[in-house]
Amino acid sequence: MLKRLKPIAIEKQIKLHIIKTDKFKTNLVSVYFQRPLAKEEVTKNALLSMVLPRGAKNYTSSKALSKALEGLYGAFLGSDVTKKGERNILQFRMQLANDKYVEDENVLAKGMEILNEVINNPYIVEGSFKDDYVNQEKENLAERIEGRKNDKMKYAFDRCIEEMCRNEPFSLYPYGNIDDLKNITSTSLYAHYKNVITSSPIDICVVGDFDEKEIEKLVTEKLKFNQKEVIAVKREKIEYIPDEINVVEENMDINQGKLNLGYRTNIPFESAMYQPLVLYSNILGGGPNSKFFKNIREKESLCYYIFSRVEKFKSLLLVGAGIEFENYDKAVSLIKAQMMDMNKGDFSEEDIESAKNSIITSIRSMTDTPHMLADFYYTQAISNNEDTLETMIEKIRNVEKTQIIEAGKSIKLDTIYFLKKKEEVR
Amino acid sequence: MTMQTIENKVLKEKMFLKELPNGLKVIFMPKEGYTKQYAIFATNYGSNESQFIIPGEKDITKVPDGIAHFLEHKLFEEPEGSIFDKFSELGSNVNAYTNFTSTCYLFSSTDRFYENLELLINFVQSPYFTDENVEKEKGIIGQEIKMYEDNPNWKVFFNGLKAMYHDYPVKIDIAGTVESISKITKEDLYKCYNTFYDPSNMIVFVVGDVDCDKVCSIVEKNQKKKEKLENKIERIYPVEPDRIVQSIIEEKLDVSIPLFNIAFKDIDNDLSVDKILRKDIATKILLDLLFGKSSDLYTSLYEEGLINDTFENEYTGEVEYGYSMLGGESKNPKKVLEKVLAYIEEIKSTGLNEADFERIKSKQIGEHLSYYNSVEFIATTFVSYYFKGINIFDYLKALKEIEFETVQKRFHAHFCEERCVLSIISPK
Repeated sequence: MLKRLKPIAIEKQIKLHIIKTDKFKTNLVSVYFQRPLAKEEVTKNALLSMVLPRGAKNYTSSKALSKALEGLYGAFLGSDVTKKGERNILQFRMQLANDKYVEDENVLAKGMEILNEVINNPYIVEGSFKDDYVNQEKENLAERIEGRKNDKMKYAFDRCIEEMCRNEPFSLYPYGNIDDLKNITSTSLYAHYKNVITSSPIDICVVGDFDEKEIEKLVTEKLKFNQKEVIAVKREKIEYIPDEINVVEENMDINQGKLNLGYRTNIPFESAMYQPLVLYSNILGGGPNSKFFKNIREKESLCYYIFSRVEKFKSLLLVGAGIEFENYDKAVSLIKAQMMDMNKGDFSEEDIESAKNSIITSIRSMTDTPHMLADFYYTQAISNNEDTLETMIEKIRNVEKTQIIEAGKSIKLDTIYFLKKKEEVR
Repeated sequence: MTMQTIENKVLKEKMFLKELPNGLKVIFMPKEGYTKQYAIFATNYGSNESQFIIPGEKDITKVPDGIAHFLEHKLFEEPEGSIFDKFSELGSNVNAYTNFTSTCYLFSSTDRFYENLELLINFVQSPYFTDENVEKEKGIIGQEIKMYEDNPNWKVFFNGLKAMYHDYPVKIDIAGTVESISKITKEDLYKCYNTFYDPSNMIVFVVGDVDCDKVCSIVEKNQKKKEKLENKIERIYPVEPDRIVQSIIEEKLDVSIPLFNIAFKDIDNDLSVDKILRKDIATKILLDLLFGKSSDLYTSLYEEGLINDTFENEYTGEVEYGYSMLGGESKNPKKVLEKVLAYIEEIKSTGLNEADFERIKSKQIGEHLSYYNSVEFIATTFVSYYFKGINIFDYLKALKEIEFETVQKRFHAHFCEERCVLSIISPK
């Protein structure tokens, strides 16, 4: 049984989301801080997610913290930053063995104490974070930012968005940039930390098997936040009509070209056209039944991977494929041709049915993974969307072909990005 | 044949096993309350099978590198087109993977499970290869190979294997090379198919909130006409020397920072099933003890900026071979190796700490429990252990029972400098 309780306001801007289910071996606690995605703080938020787990007041080193977590049946503690549209999310996640399966009765309570230590009770030396920790993590973050290029597929995907949204906050890389990183000191980071914990909207999601009253009590007792003046994050601007196609090429010493196309859909996720758009993308390049897979991979043998996906908050449609360098023109025109066919309505009722089934399967499947459940309800919360899973499924089911064609009409190509081989002349 | 039931009281899970007359093994694990159903149809045949004797023949057959993986791609093709369409209609996701020892076909669904299951079994058991469709696949797999060539993590891993193994086929790329796959013909594919896709060499594993009897009756009915091979498959593996090929292997790629992999080659192979399991567990505990986040070595490497949080370790223990690996990104991989080896020497004289051992053990118990949250994990892990002769339900018990002394012995036997290699991918 999966039971989702009505969100509880612990404080004005701290919401607790309880998802009760007895099917997992573990309990999960996720804490999300919502920040605006902004150049001034994106790098600091990333660094903060790395410095906090380095030490807390009662666990002054990573080693001490790791030992405590290991002793607690290998409790997993993770902290990270992501972007959801133009929101920068700083998140902490703790997964713990459920007491039922181990010889211990207070795993969850003990785990929450550690989680609280890491978030709310950092290790402070002379009024700020420990210099050594900050400096080491600055170096690690620099390696991470520079290391973006190591994963070519993701790099090309991110770079396409960066070029397309170059004048919008959405272009920001969630791990920040080297120039801003250089200027961060322990003092400035600590000041930023104070700002984050006092001014961010906070959401807590707990997923697992527990008594709901007890868990509410436990969260209120163990997690001691210090919220003051909370600043809400604004909805991003999404309407853009590109006046010309922005073509960007970049060189790297690689064996396979990475082609990415970025489109503006101009369809907000709140609109009734959003579900038709999701179906459009799925029929176009959602999986092995898609137009891309059948025509560009299977018929033309042009690639191994090719996909299309929708970015919900920012209303983008993103296409990606790995191809031979010399097949650039052919691939671009084939991708465009598939979209033209879509817009002309050249797809069958079976294609629609398959796409609907595939989307519904993914929606349902989320309920089998604790962190996906937590992320799902969190995303719903920040989208002010109260649809249940069943309502979401219903909305997908009800989409008609004419709506999918209609959705296609507002999709406009903005940017073509191609990562190609160094010195290759096309 | 009768059904065997295995219950694990700690995990609070059950499993049902049945062998059909044609040798196919069917295993079902109920997962009440789960929305997803997951099934794998797997053959004990992977990229390591590069030489074998076809039942009924005398001579050794040698096949082109990458053929098991090529076969995996081609099984999705049916005379009436691709099988993907049919799974898509049902809204399920079908996929497959090939590794060193197995090829696995799988789907996950949330609806119409039994139809999906029949579809899975039927398509894997109906090969349809033509000269044309084999040729067409070469372009697609060629792009898959090129994608991996640009993947530094994959390269650093494989180069490590190449530095360890002289002859054993684990050193050969699973997908082969553009050159090796160009030679593959439909006849080669049928040869491999007929040899290794015999029901007696295969298992069906199902996990989810579905009916056990119905799963069995569907598979049984489906398999009635499929006969067993009379002869046993003879797999031929080269004799692999204990020594490594080279202690350092280095390649340049367009990366920002060097990636490295330090590997220790196992020599203690060909063991009985429970010894393999104990070796597996002991090595995994050791890796956490020596190189995990709470170890002295991790702390000093991290604080000196020699490693970052990409630093990870893993152990692979197959029946015929095994290795430990630790790696990640580092400004100075050679320095990391030096410190790793010095640390091992130091522990060899000072000894392992028993309290640390107990703590790591309880950590791994908790982690093992959490794996049972995921039906994908259960299914893929079940298959890989099953082909080694191990049932994953035995893992937790063996983990709880493992003794400090076993781990100490394993430490001295496994972590030896002369069987250690360093693989580096450095920036161009």
